[in-house]
Amino acid sequence: MGDLASKLMAELECETVFTIPVFGGIGIAESVVVTWIIMAILIIGAIILTRNLKIDHISKRQAVAELIYTKLTGLVEGMIGPAGKSYVPYLTTVLLYIGLSNIIGLFGMKSPTKDLNVTIALAVMSIVLVEAAGIHHKGVGKWLHHFTEPVAIVTPINILEVFTRPLSLCMRLFGNVLGAFVIMELIKIVVPVFLPAVFSLYFDLFDGLLQAYVFVFLTSMYIAEAIE
Amino acid sequence: MNSLIAIGAGIAVFCALGAGIGIGIATGKASEAIARQPEAAGKINFTLILGCALAEATAIYGFVIALMIIVMLK
Repeated sequence: MGDLASKLMAELECETVFTIPVFGGIGIAESVVVTWIIMAILIIGAIILTRNLKIDHISKRQAVAELIYTKLTGLVEGMIGPAGKSYVPYLTTVLLYIGLSNIIGLFGMKSPTKDLNVTIALAVMSIVLVEAAGIHHKGVGKWLHHFTEPVAIVTPINILEVFTRPLSLCMRLFGNVLGAFVIMELIKIVVPVFLPAVFSLYFDLFDGLLQAYVFVFLTSMYIAEAIE
Repeated sequence: MNSLIAIGAGIAVFCALGAGIGIGIATGKASEAIARQPEAAGKINFTLILGCALAEATAIYGFVIALMIIVMLK
């Protein structure tokens, strides 16, 4: 048990892989490096899939690219509605990034979403986008006025919501990924063969993709609410 | 001191109570809905899974707080 506790501590801390020797040293955490790997995978995949696009006589590669694009954007557009069409590319990117970073743990790398800083950054980006969308669509005056709706007495709760929304977004993602990891480690201690593989299907693949979906779903719900 | 920390972490996990009740109610209603309208099973399942993922978050908060109690106070 003591071994597990120390292992958990090691997982909670984000180690610094190397330091860039400028401005007194900028530490590069492990999650940043894994994020670079994910970026490389996504960019190379995108370049390979979108080379030589044609209008007629499309190749199989282009058919796959079109299928992925229409499915993903259709999924996000279904959540946010036609009014928020301009936010679909950002949300799809976040969906791809969180989904890939949740399942990259299967390949022996440390998921970036297990680092609290990454999920905080994602949640702050989401809430900034939500408020910016509200200001952009309504104008500053109407945006300020929506805090007092439906009645003036709920204003403190509405203002509090600006802070609790990103908190719940980041804690949900972080807690789910970490919780799945802890349960997987416990299962590996009790039954080291076969059973971890079965549970890994649920905890790593299904739950990881579901959490990416939930994150994007909530963000798009907030945006749809802000721009209505 | 250590045993007190353990008790505190245990109390934090009481959060899971709400998630359990919530998911139980949701699943019960979903089975009722599927029994009434089997052709809508796909849509109901999808909504159920999404609702469960959202309800589960409460339990996850409890887990995160318990972990924080253990890590911060040790």
